[in-house]
Order: sequence, then C-alpha cells, then structure tokens
Amino acid sequence: MLKVPLVGKQFDGNKDLVSETRKSEGMIFNVQRYSTEDGPGIRTTVFMKGCPLKCIWCQNPEGLSTEPELMWYQTRCVAALECVKVCQEEALKLTEDGMRIDRGKCTGCGECVKACPAGALELIGKTYNAEELLDEVLRDRAFYDKSNGGVTFGGGEPMLQIDFLEDVLPKLKEANIHVAIDTCGAVPWKYFERIIDYVDLFLFDLKLLDEEKFREYTGGNMCLVTDNAREISSHKIPMWIRTPIIPGYTDDKENIEGISQFINRNLASAQRYDLLAFNNMCKSKYGRLDMNWELKHARLIGKERMEEFKKIAEDAGLSTVRWSGPTKMEGD
Amino acid sequence: MAKMWEPSEELSDRVKKLRTEYFSFYDREYFRNEVMPFTTGTDWDQLYSYHDWGDVPELFNYFAGITDSLKSMAIKVDLPENFWNESSATRRAVFFKKVIEEYLPVKILDGELIVGSYFSTALSKCFTKKEVKKWWKEESKWLKEMMRLHEVGVMNCGAISGHIVPDYKKVLETGFKGIKEEIEKQMEGHDEEAKRDYCKSMIIAIEGTKRFAERYAEEAEQLAENEKNEQRKKELLEVARICRKVPWEPAETFHEALQSVWFTHMLIMAAESYPGPGLSHGRFDQYMYPYYKKDIEEGRLTKEFAKELLECFWIKHNYAYDFMGFVGVKQGITSGFGQLMTIGGITKEGKDAVNELTWLLLDVIDDMNMLEPKRNIRISKKTSDEFLMRVCESIRKTQGSAFLLNFDENSIKGLLWEGLSEEDAMDYGVVGCLENTAQGKDRSGTVDVNPNLAKPVELVLSNGRDMLTGKRVTSKTGSPEKFLSYEEFEKAYFEQLDQCMGKTLESASKADEIRAKYEPTPYLSTLVEGCAEKGKDVRNGGPIYNFITVEGVGLATAADSLAAVKKFVYDDKQITMEELIEAIKDNFEGKENLRRMLSTKAPKYGNDDDYVDSIARNISRHWTEEVFTHTSPYTGRRFRGGYLSWNYFIDFAPLTAATPDGRLRGTYLSNGIQPVQGKDKKGPTAVIRSAGKLGLETVPNGASQVIAFSSASLEDEEHLKKFASLLRAYGEVGGTSLMINMIDPETLKDAQKRPEEYDNLVVRVTGYNAYFATLGKEIQDEIIARESHAV
Repeated sequence: MLKVPLVGKQFDGNKDLVSETRKSEGMIFNVQRYSTEDGPGIRTTVFMKGCPLKCIWCQNPEGLSTEPELMWYQTRCVAALECVKVCQEEALKLTEDGMRIDRGKCTGCGECVKACPAGALELIGKTYNAEELLDEVLRDRAFYDKSNGGVTFGGGEPMLQIDFLEDVLPKLKEANIHVAIDTCGAVPWKYFERIIDYVDLFLFDLKLLDEEKFREYTGGNMCLVTDNAREISSHKIPMWIRTPIIPGYTDDKENIEGISQFINRNLASAQRYDLLAFNNMCKSKYGRLDMNWELKHARLIGKERMEEFKKIAEDAGLSTVRWSGPTKMEGD
Repeated sequence: MAKMWEPSEELSDRVKKLRTEYFSFYDREYFRNEVMPFTTGTDWDQLYSYHDWGDVPELFNYFAGITDSLKSMAIKVDLPENFWNESSATRRAVFFKKVIEEYLPVKILDGELIVGSYFSTALSKCFTKKEVKKWWKEESKWLKEMMRLHEVGVMNCGAISGHIVPDYKKVLETGFKGIKEEIEKQMEGHDEEAKRDYCKSMIIAIEGTKRFAERYAEEAEQLAENEKNEQRKKELLEVARICRKVPWEPAETFHEALQSVWFTHMLIMAAESYPGPGLSHGRFDQYMYPYYKKDIEEGRLTKEFAKELLECFWIKHNYAYDFMGFVGVKQGITSGFGQLMTIGGITKEGKDAVNELTWLLLDVIDDMNMLEPKRNIRISKKTSDEFLMRVCESIRKTQGSAFLLNFDENSIKGLLWEGLSEEDAMDYGVVGCLENTAQGKDRSGTVDVNPNLAKPVELVLSNGRDMLTGKRVTSKTGSPEKFLSYEEFEKAYFEQLDQCMGKTLESASKADEIRAKYEPTPYLSTLVEGCAEKGKDVRNGGPIYNFITVEGVGLATAADSLAAVKKFVYDDKQITMEELIEAIKDNFEGKENLRRMLSTKAPKYGNDDDYVDSIARNISRHWTEEVFTHTSPYTGRRFRGGYLSWNYFIDFAPLTAATPDGRLRGTYLSNGIQPVQGKDKKGPTAVIRSAGKLGLETVPNGASQVIAFSSASLEDEEHLKKFASLLRAYGEVGGTSLMINMIDPETLKDAQKRPEEYDNLVVRVTGYNAYFATLGKEIQDEIIARESHAV
C-alpha cells in the first residue's frame, strides 16, 4: 500500500531505467551551495529529481517525480494574473484559497514562471548538461579545498540518472573534487558499477531492516538495498550509513539495533552511523505540490530518545555514531 | 547551544563592581564624563566646528543650538600673558596644557587600577577676532554647499576627528620625555620660523602630560592616606607611583604600560574635543607583549592579575559614551564609537604574530561583554588552526558581536596599492571598524567623505536634475531615451558619477583646508611620525602618509540598477526606457508589476552571477581609481576609496529616487559591499565570491561585509570546523573584512511580516536548511521559538 499519492511521472521499478534518462542531461531541482549536512567539509549538494522509493516520510517530495513541477508561493504572489493569461493548457486558477494548479493539465512548460512579475511561480526541476553543472559546482572550489569538502549528489535518487552521473563524475575526479553520493540504495548493482570508481564516499540510507515494513513504507525491496551496501563495502569505498528516525515507522529499538548489527557485521567500509531525527520543515512543500503528507501531524522525537538510539548503536559495536536534527523542545 | 552573550561570572569582584558602576549612569552623580566646555572668554570664541560632524546628518539641525549651549556653559580659562601674540598652534597648545594641568577634574573610582576619568571636552578654538571672521566665512560657505549636496542625496562630508592609530608604542618605549627631546632636535634642524614655532607648540602640549599625570598621583596618595583597607592602600600607592612615572618616562611593567597608554589615549580625545570615534590602539597585542612577557617571566605578574588589569583598562574606554548618557537610554549599547584594537595577524616579517597576550585578550573580550574598546582580529594564511578555532568559539559565544575579522592578504594588497612600504603594510592597524591604515604615521580620515553611488543612476534618468526637487545637480548627459545601447547608458552613469565625485571631493577638500588652516592639534601631532620632521600638524599633511578616505555608499543598489536596465531595456527589450523613467518618476505607483519584475527577475549582485558582478566591479574600479588621482589642494592629502558606509544607506534612502532595481524611494540603499537586502539567494559562498570579484585592491581602506548565520551553523565541533574553513576560504576569494551576525528571533519575526525583504534568509535546524520565507507560518513559529531558545 503506497501512502504517498503519485504525482506527475514517477519512476516505475519494472522498466529499464536507462531508457528513462537522457544521455548527458540531468534533471536537477536544486544546487545548494554551502551545504554542511551532506558529507565532510563545505559542499555543494546537487539534488536530482526522481526516486524509486516512495517513503511515507519523504523530506523532499519535489524529488519524487522525474518531471519538472510547478510550485506557487503565496507570500510572493501579487495577483497579477499574468500566469493565468499565458497558460495554454488553462491549468492555473487563482482562487480564494490560493493558486489551483491542475497538475493533470500542466505540462511544466514554464511559460507562467516567465510571465509572473513577482517570482511567485517556480518550476522545480531544470535540465543541466555536464558543463553547466560543472561550471556551477566548481565555483566553490576554494571552499572545498579549505574544508576537505566537495560535491554531493542527492535527491530524489541520483543513481537513477546514472548516464548523467557517468558523464559528470569522471570530470569532477579529473578536477580533483571529492565526490559523495547520497543514495537510498534501491537501484540495481549494475548502476553502481558504472560510477563506483569515481565516488569517494557513499551516504547510504538504511531505513528499515524488516523487508515487509520496508516494502510497505517505501515501496522498495530491502534485499536490493542491503546487497548493494555489502557490495560497496567490498569495493572498500567509504560509507556513512544514515537512518532517518521517523516516529511510528523506524523509531524502534529493534530496528536501530538490527541496522547497527548489520553494519557491524557486513559493512567494513562504514566510517560512521548517523541517526537523523524526523523533522517537519518539508510540510509546506507538500502543500505547494498539492500532495497530502501522512506525517503532517507527527511530533518531533525527544532528545533523550535520540541519545538512547545512539547508545543502542554503540552497544551493538559501532564506534562513530552521531545524531542530528530538531528535537522536541521543553514543554512541548 | 549558545546562550545570549553576557559577562562572565568568573570576573573578579572588583571588575564586576567597576563594570556595573559604568552601566549605572543615572546613579553616578559623583562622576559623569559629560562634555566640559572651556573658553578663552572672548566674545567671539568658538568651541564647535561643523566640519567635525559633517558626516552626521542627524545633527545638522542642531548645529546652531550645540554651538550656543557649549559656549554658554563654558568655563573660562585664565590665559597667560602674551597668549594672543602666539601663533594659532601655540595658543591651542598652551590652552590644552592649561586645561589638563589645572581645569580638567581628577577622579579615581573606588577599586580602579587604571586611572584617568574626565576626558570629554569642548576646547576653545583659541581664535583671534580676525581669525574667527575668516574662519566663519569659510566654514559657513562650506557648510552651505555641503548641505546643498546632501539635501539632494549626493553625499555628506566633513573633516572628522579621531580615526587614527597614534604611535602609542613610542610613548611606551621613550616616554613623552623622549618624544620631547626628539622634537627639540627636529626643531633645531628647521630653518623656517613657522616650522620651529610649530615644533614649539608640540613641546608645550607634551609638557602638559607630566603635570596631568602627577595630579592623578597626588589624588591617589590622598586617597591612600585615608584608606583603611590595607590592600587598597597598597594599590593606591602603586597607582601613585605609576602616575609619577608614565607617560612621561618609558614604561617598564605591564601595569605601567597600560596606564601610559590610557593617559595618552584619553588626552587625545580631550585635545580633539571628540569622545572616541575611531581613535584606535592599533596592534595592541604586539606592542604590549614585551611588557607582559617580561613581567610574567620575572615573576612580577600572574596571568590572572594581567587579565584583571586589562579589564580595568577595558572599562575606561566605555566612559566615552557618557556624553550622551542623558540622551541615550542605554548608553554604550545604542551606538558604537570604535576605539578599535587590532590583534592577531602577521608580523612585519610575515610570520604568525599571535602570542600569549592575543589569547588572553580573547578571554577578556569574551568575559567582559562590553562595547569598547572595539576589536578587530587579523586573520592570515599564517594564523594557526588552534587560534582560528578559538576565534570561532568566541564568535559562537558572543553571537558574532565581539569583533570584526580582517583578512591580511586582501587588506595588505590594497595598502601596497596605495603606496605603503611593504613593512608598513604588513604591520597595518585598523581604525574605527575595519578601516586599514599604517600605524602611527597615517591619518586617513576614514569617514570624512561619503558619496552616494546610487544617486548618479537617478541623475542619468533625469538628465542631471534631482527628481524630487527638480533642482539641477549636475550637467546634462543626454536624454536616456536616445541611448542606443547599454554601453551608452553606462557611459552616462560614469559621467554622472564623476561629476558627483568632483563636487564631493571639492567640498571635502574645503573642509580639510579649513581644519588644517585654523585648527591644529599639536598634542596629537606628537604621536604621529612625520609631523615634527616636517614641522607640520597632523591635520595639515604632517604624517608620513596622507590620505582622505572616500567611503562609497550603495554599490549594490547601483550595480543592480544598471543590471536591470541592461537586461530589461537593452538585452531582452521587455520594457522601454520611457516606461522605466515614467515608473521611476512615479515611484512605481500603479506599476507594482513592473517593480516586482525588476526586483525579482533581474540579476542581483551577491549571487556569484558574472552578469551583474562584473558591473559592480566596473563601478567600484571606476570611482576608486578616479578618486585616487585627486588630492586635497591645501594639505596634499590623497583621496582613496573604501566601503564603510556607516549608516548613510539609511540617510540617503529618502533622498534617492526609486531605482531601476525595483527599489522604492525611502527603501534603504545597500550597505558596504553587501548585496541589496534580501537579494543574495545562493548562500554565503556565493556572496563571498561576488565580493571577491570586485577587485578590492583599489579600495585600500577596506570594505564592510556582514554575513548572518543560524546558531545551528556553529553548534558543534564539526560545524565550527566547517565555519573556520569558510573563514580560511574568505581570505582567499573574499574581501578585506567580515562581520558575523547570528540570526536572532527578532529578525525571524520581522521576516514573517515582510517576506519580500528576507527572501534569502536560510534557517538551519540541525541537519536541515530551508528558506525561511517559504515555510508555513506554523513551522516558522516553531523555528522562532527554537532560535529564542538557542540564543
């Protein structure tokens, strides 16, 4: 049962993935500079569109679909209605409750974005070729050099756009830039094989070890994920394992203990284990994409609980365990 | 998480008492360092010069009132015979000497280890009747023209006091006695009578310091006699011993050195009748270190006592704010003067200059939580990781407010460009906030001249007239409707800019001339290398280096305006010049869509976008290279560029028409080399790179940049290290100076109300960052609550 409604075009796990991506063009929804949360040092994180999973707790819902999506920002809108005028598909309507985007009709052509005088409409997702992306990410080279940072590809799931990665990564290596891939691991091993020589670090998600639950909450195949993790480790590429601590889904002792033991036994290349506390800052993005978010009323995790999980992981034999993220405030 | 910066609990009882006493202005009836005016008693006496405050437009309306009240309150000073036959410099020296020897009250507060209390004065200009007539004619003419140009938003200017690093090191090493002997030698070498006379005035001024310090010694002895507490008695006798010695004799201990510096420093404020602004210590940790080291090594001093002495020294500076005690609600918090201390950096030989005293000073800064003396920490490639991390910890602890950072490599480049010797450039000190100068031989007048770089955009569009008043400001540069290309438009901008700058420098030169001609300060000249050698006042080209700094205001507003014209009128042809001019004349009334488009869709400086960054660079290089070709005719001081922009981005806001970047009349201009408020959307690395592209070596004064971070950016060791490497990279690709701000809950609340101005505000909640303006209200409230918790 998938709890996140499908919006736009999403990745279909049964299709041959390669035909889904265009050679040497990446569909990217954000290039975030001075990124300090996605690997060592100061980094630029390239957020790529499209994901094979549909996690109930997804923090970046704009990364699910492989297609560009329109977002409207109420605080910027001046009701100029230029967008409505230029839309060939008649997909836009400004109502008392805000802009209604008929996502069935919207083709993502971006004409309304151009027409809007106030920058209230934004097309999430832009194609880059390798040169364009390199031009942008190499700008912060001085910052990478001083901090032992580099470039991280995240998303969505960057591994879906393997052709593009295969084009870009060798060029980054040639430029001597540290490359990290932030992956959910739910893609065939043959994809990893194509780029593994150019990757310095995998930020690898292990969300749940229970196969059934994994399928239910993310729509993916856990064995594929764990097999890939083992393979990466056997190639001796450093990994940071990450588990999102989602209330009611991944925040049980058994899960953290199981994942920790799995890391301890199977992932010799794992350098650290990060526990990421659930946060709700993505809520407004769901609204803006006209998506319902199952976790909109979920509460933050308590600090003590995060400490507890950290201890469980350490007791399972892991030496470098960290936790981060917003926790419940006192009196909350 | 960091707590709001507050004084340390660990401070000694003495320091706590003295600190609290300072903050209790209303209860301190026994001592307030308010302005004390002193007059020669003549009908025509003058105690106030408008050019001293020409850079404070808020005061313009009060000039006449201040002049009158100072005069009516003034204490008459008995003048020696022959006074009126002396030269102006000698008269002023004699008057100063008389005041500090006999009239300026002496006060030692209970528990003080560093003494010297009353220094806020308004000294008579000591004019003869003939002089006052000439002075007033020139001064009033200058004021009229300056205010005319200010009213139409072109500039403000003056000849401002303070803003110098005097040679305190020399006082420590040779004492005023040694300096006097040196001047006497110089005097013998001068053939011209005027120069000999000028040296004589310097000697007279210096002689006053001996008796002045003795008065404090006598007071300390008197207090000691009546003191019951044996410990305090001993302290007072030690204070008395020290005051009998320094600043006249060389200092030998750390305590003596601190007292010597304080007396020398406070007397400059008294001599210039100016309570503090920009009178800076220079590289305090360098010249004080030998005294510290020697005392520690010889067992005379403990680190703890050294810290307590420094803390006593610290508090004294803050009394500069007493002059506005009855005006400001929280004196010392509402304003910043900038008795700046420079620490860290590299030595003249290019080695890491950080020493034990530098480290100790950081503890003092952290623990004291006081505004003055202000601090500027020099960071260089040679700075160790340990020290840089210590600096970052202090930024975290003090929410960034404790100091500015200066970047040596970029700063030195500019100083070499303006012609400082390599040794002087490496050994530079910082004045006021971030203004780079040589130490002890350079007065660069760092807030003297403040032109509005955005005004010429208006003048292009209106062909030389002020849009509000219709007054002609500059000559015509052609109807913009007829410009066929962006290049023609840009050319017209530069022509208008040059015209504005020409008028600005003319007015600034006049202020400089009046001050040099009529108001010499022989006492300060004794502390500036070159004056005795040349027999010339510090205000009259006496120093080795002579500059006047022109601080450009509104760079990003100007650059964004030109970029918007380039894109929408010439490149994309989306609007016509006629439409644009009409909209700007109407202040975009009824044309909100056009304004929004200009405001949100044109390229904006601060995003590492070469389209507009190259325009900003062209503007910056153009005017800074242009002003450097000019000197002030009377004094020969050369104009040099800078971007301090104090608070003039506010003052000029209503005086500048709407601009093509979508700004409305009245909205603040951009500040320093900052992007326009809210327009930098790619984070700190992009802002830093945009600043770096300006080519700031033609801006030897240095440029102001402030970057705000969420507290989460510094919360743990891992993030602190990343932040430290950001600073390292700044030194390579950024500008000359950086101030770190922490995003506070108030900013976030404001951003909730006015999202347009905070479109760029990124908040970090551990492990996640987001544009604040795009978050729902509920989440925003939570983040505000969280940040309120954090700081």
